Order: sequence, then C-alpha cells, then structure tokens
Amino acid sequence: MSKIMTVDILSSIKGAKESEAVGKLFETIKNANTSNNNAINANHNNAVSLDELREDIVIDSPQAEKEIIIENFPKEKNGFLVVAKVIEE
Amino acid sequence: MESQIHKIHQQLMKKEISCTNLVQERLDLLKLNTHNTVNSLLDNLALDLAAKVDVKIANGEEIGLLEGIPFGIKDVYMVQGTLTTASSDLLRKYKSPYTATAIQKLLDAGAIPLVKENCDSFGHGSSSENTIFGAVKNAINTDLVSGGSSGGSAVNVAKDYTVFSIGGDTGGSVRQPAGYNKIYGLKPTYGRISRFGLMAYASSTDCVGPIAKSIEDIRIVLNVMSGKDVKDQTTYQSEAISEETILNADEIKTVGYFKNFIETDAIDAKVKADFLASIEKIKAKGIEVKELDFFESDTLVSTYYTLAMAETASNLSRLDGTNYGNRIEGANLKDTYSITRSENFSEETKRRIIGGNQVLSQGFSDEIYLKGLNLRDQISENFEKDFKEVDVILSPVTPNSPPKIGDSLKDPLAMYLSDAYTVGFSLGQLPTLTVPQGTETGLQITAAKNNDELVLKFANFLKDTI
Repeated sequence: MSKIMTVDILSSIKGAKESEAVGKLFETIKNANTSNNNAINANHNNAVSLDELREDIVIDSPQAEKEIIIENFPKEKNGFLVVAKVIEE
Repeated sequence: MESQIHKIHQQLMKKEISCTNLVQERLDLLKLNTHNTVNSLLDNLALDLAAKVDVKIANGEEIGLLEGIPFGIKDVYMVQGTLTTASSDLLRKYKSPYTATAIQKLLDAGAIPLVKENCDSFGHGSSSENTIFGAVKNAINTDLVSGGSSGGSAVNVAKDYTVFSIGGDTGGSVRQPAGYNKIYGLKPTYGRISRFGLMAYASSTDCVGPIAKSIEDIRIVLNVMSGKDVKDQTTYQSEAISEETILNADEIKTVGYFKNFIETDAIDAKVKADFLASIEKIKAKGIEVKELDFFESDTLVSTYYTLAMAETASNLSRLDGTNYGNRIEGANLKDTYSITRSENFSEETKRRIIGGNQVLSQGFSDEIYLKGLNLRDQISENFEKDFKEVDVILSPVTPNSPPKIGDSLKDPLAMYLSDAYTVGFSLGQLPTLTVPQGTETGLQITAAKNNDELVLKFANFLKDTI
C-alpha cells in the first residue's frame, strides 16, 4: 500500500497531531547506542511452550456473561443490536 | 506496622467486632472521603458478603484468614456486574461481564470488595489526575497528587478506608503512589499473577500488585493471587512464601545501588542525602554495598514509554464504540470510530495512542520501536549481570517529592521523567517493592526474576535497620 497514512487516520482520532513531549522521547531512542546482537526478545521470553498450549476448543460463556455483553452494546432497536454503520467502501 | 489482616481476623473470630459493622464503617468512610478515591462503591455486594461471614462466625464455623477482610480494587479490573470505567468517558457505563482471575482468587478466599478505585485513565499517568472522577488527593497533604496511576488505591490504604487494595503496575503505578502515600506496594515478577481481566495497557510489563500497610499483608495477598492461569499464558507456577522464611534475611550479603540514579542533578538534595544515609545504616549491619552502573534515566524513560505507547496503541484499538463503550454516531463507520475515540479519550491517552501508532508505522519502526526493543534486551542483560554481583538492588522510588495537583498535566515530559527510577525494573520484569522508609517517597527493593521472597525478606530487614 503506497498511500501514506497520517497519525489521525492510523489512530482513528480526529485532528491527532504528533506531540512535542513524545517526540523528545523518540529522539533519545534514536541517539542511544544499541548493541549489534539481533537476539530480539532474548531476555524476556514469555512465550508459552508448544506442550502447554491451551486446547483449541470453544468454551460457551455463562448466561450471566452473555446478558451483560448484550447490556453493554451501545444501541438496541426492537430487540436487535444496532451496529454503527455498514462498511461502504 | 503490624498485619491488619491478622488483627482483624482475630477480632472477628473473638467476636469483638462484626463483619457487617466493619464493612459498613469502611463504606461510610469511603463515601464521605474528599480525596476522590472512589469511582463506585460496591455496597450491596459487600454487605451481603459480610452478613454471610457473620452467620458463619455465629455458627461457630472456622473462617479463613482473608474471610471478611475489606479491600479495594483499581477501576481497571473486571468484577462481574460492576461498573469498570478505567476512569474514562468511553467506559463510563461499561459493566464487567466476567471477573479477573486475581480478584476471583481473593473473592474465593472470602475477602470483601468495597470499592472500584480512582486512577489515571487506562493507567496513563503518574499522578491520578488523568481521570473523569477528579484528581486523587494525597493522603498526607491534600494539595499534592496521590501519585499514579493507582492513586485511589494507595490513598484508600493509607487512610485505612481499605485494609489492602489491588493496583496495577506497568511502569511504576503501584510503587510510586505507595511511596507518595507512605505505605507498601509490590510489583511482583511479571507472570507471577494472572493478568486475565486486567484492562491491558502495555501487556509486556502489566503486573497485578498489592498495596498494604505491612509486609505481612503484602505476603498474604500475594500468595493468594499468585499462580498459573490458563487464561494468561505468560503466568508461571510459583511457591507460596511462608511467614517464617521472610523473617530471616541472613542470606542477603550484598546490596547494590545505581550510581547514576544518585549522582545526578535531577535528584532532590534531601532524597539523595536520605538515600545515602540509609546505605550507611545498611553497611553498619555488615552488609557489603556495591555501586553499579546503569543506563541513563532518559534512556530508561524513553525506552519504556516508546514500548508502552506502542503496546497501548494496539491494545486500545478495540475501543471504538462498536460492541461496547460510549458510541457517538458519525456520517460513516470510520467517522463513527474517530468521533467516538476523539470525544471519549483524554488528552494523555490520545497522546500515547498517537505516539504508539507513530513508532509502529513504516519509516519509524526500525529507527525507534525496534531500537527500543534492542535497548530493552540490553537493560535485561544488565540486570542479569548485576544479580551475579549483588543479592538485591536498592533505589529511591522517585527523584523528587510529590508535585502539586495541576502541575503534572501542564508538563507531560516532566511527568514521564519522574518515572525514571521505576520503569527500568518494569522493563526487566523484576519483583520490586516500595517500602515507606529511607526517603520522603520511600525506597524500592528489587531482586532477580522470580525472587519475590528475597524482596520481602530484605523489607523486613530494613524495617528493623533504618
């Protein structure tokens, strides 16, 4: 994709602008010395081992959970949950 | 201070107090308090649970140590059926459909939840001013901030409104407010406690952390919440820490501190003098103290914030008003997303989301994000090297005393830099405890990964030493 996406589009925030304070943090990183080893994540290996992977099964939510999920839905009309808009493009 | 949990347990067992009265008394204190610590009270739930404890006691049944003990919960934890707002407009009316694992374990042990506590919105802040419920006021001086992001939790404990509270620590959000309010706050080793049901800020450093007035209470609550959880695959199985083992710190022979944290203009003169005086007292007990080299504070802060912003931009991308949250309809779907997010996120949250998307985007990621990851690896390697030399590392919690309410929001960079001493240990995923001693905002004790026990041991030693 060659289209350049600005931060407001990337963030879905109207009028989003880069912050000066955050820019200063990024400058520090750019100027820091990094090591040449490419072992990214070598020291914080939190990945789960293959033997311990959770079983790939669908667990049905309890009824109380389902009811609250519906209650949290922003809009309801005639018993239907109303989505914002359909994707048109 | 002695263990509040043991004390209240004895009072309940001896029928000196009833659980209902205890809970009602604390709820009244919370309701009337002017520190802005409360987002919502769980009064009906708490009183129902208290009545059940009273029935058990009246029937002569045994109760568990945590049974009937009132506690508080930072408003970023799911507790089924309760409002969970993350102190944000977006989730002002959001109800938790399920309960976080750490909280469920406390409920199973019989502890009684009183309150969802005020905090910086989505954990984004170091002062608990970034909230729709009003800035949380410091427990000791109400002109000052409580610290953050778990400010409401720290103040509730400091003021005895809750016996203990559960905060969340991503870059210092338990340790710093604990220091600002002169109590204990633990960030355990990453993965010791399940994050399931804790709203994600930066998933690779998010930790569930207990806040209390004694080391013993921290130990009790830590033990209950720890353990492997299939719903958070970064968790690991840990051994319970016994009361007896942490009373003896004889195995701690060497303590280190980071020279550059202390020899800098950024540290307040009194914090520096008090820290060095504490070091002298430790030396006087025959413990060897070593000066250690570490990364510059601005590198630590920049690395942490770069990675945390990238992770929060990703984690918070789900908050668009589609399935939940305060949806504001626009002309089309994209417009709906962006109006909903623009109107409902705070300035600080937006700043972090935008920064995160910046570093994750093409052209920036190599230069900043990947470099940040590389720096994080170097920081972790540095810690591994240090813990071959020393048993624990001691540091101040913050370079300065708590700022006045209103000052942090004006200068975000200054707020980020105030986290200089806490963020490194988050990046290293190390167990770190704030103790209310040594400097005006306390001291941090850090040990190697999975060595939370040693941190508590040294805390007991410091209690009697300085």
